[in-house]
Amino acid sequence: MKTGNKATGGSGHVGALISGYLDGELTQQQRQSVDVHLADCAECSDRLAELEALRKRVSGARLSRVGDDVWREQMNDMTVKVSRGIGWLLFLGGLLLIGGFGIYQFVIDTSVEPLFKLMVSAVYLGLGALFVSVLRQRLVERKTDKYKNVEI
Amino acid sequence: MKKSDIRQELVNLGSGAHVLAFQILGNSDDAADAVHDAFAKVLARPGAFDFRRGPLKPWFLRVVRNRCFDLLRHRRVSDPAIEELADPALQPDHRLEIQQRDEQLHRALSGISGDQRQILVLRDYLDLSYAELASVLQIAPGTVMSRLHRARLALKEVLNENGE
Repeated sequence: MKTGNKATGGSGHVGALISGYLDGELTQQQRQSVDVHLADCAECSDRLAELEALRKRVSGARLSRVGDDVWREQMNDMTVKVSRGIGWLLFLGGLLLIGGFGIYQFVIDTSVEPLFKLMVSAVYLGLGALFVSVLRQRLVERKTDKYKNVEI
Repeated sequence: MKKSDIRQELVNLGSGAHVLAFQILGNSDDAADAVHDAFAKVLARPGAFDFRRGPLKPWFLRVVRNRCFDLLRHRRVSDPAIEELADPALQPDHRLEIQQRDEQLHRALSGISGDQRQILVLRDYLDLSYAELASVLQIAPGTVMSRLHRARLALKEVLNENGE
């Protein structure tokens, strides 16, 4: 007995329905029609057995050599990175607020001589400029260093 | 769903997602990068996943798949060749005969198209339903069965050609 050719997939029998049958994805009506066909058709019964064996082979195979430990480690690394990022953000934010408040107090403080204020400002501005310069140099090196991935 | 539950589920999905990414990208390291990027994306915006719209697994696999295609676009390759499994050394808990069969299967998978590899891995390896397959692959639900069937026949043919 041959069934309709709607999803035959070239077999001329139950075709693609056999995959749906194997996966339990057919409607009751389709399932019954495939059952009837299989009872009469040795070719489709053989195909069903072959596809079932193939499915078992794929499902039982080890197709990745990367174990769960690797993913767990990655997940932990990400958690550490996120918490470290939040930590740095809070630290630098707080530092900027305190620093800003200190500068503001220093500038409005009338008890300090303007000349002294200028000298102190020059020292801190100089330190700031040095820091920015070194930081910039480090960042450029980090981007262009072709040996950065070499482990010593 | 709590963030810690999502984390644990993502860890459990890592290996399966890596297999899918490997079938798309053809390279184990690139596949690991894609899964890592997908982890980062999900953890950065856990609210993007709405558990009322379905389980995490197909949703996460779609994120991984999209990331793989981003990487492929970057490499300007649409269907790359599949490399050998990254570590050919015998796994202690895996008998030689089984490992050889897996390698034969791996070679046979590289003999079919990328689309066919994806649908096969998603259904037969990762056990997704047809509705989930349609959602991950972004195809019409009515075409899933015939595509999957063609993929299975293609794999069977390659295995037969290789005498396996």
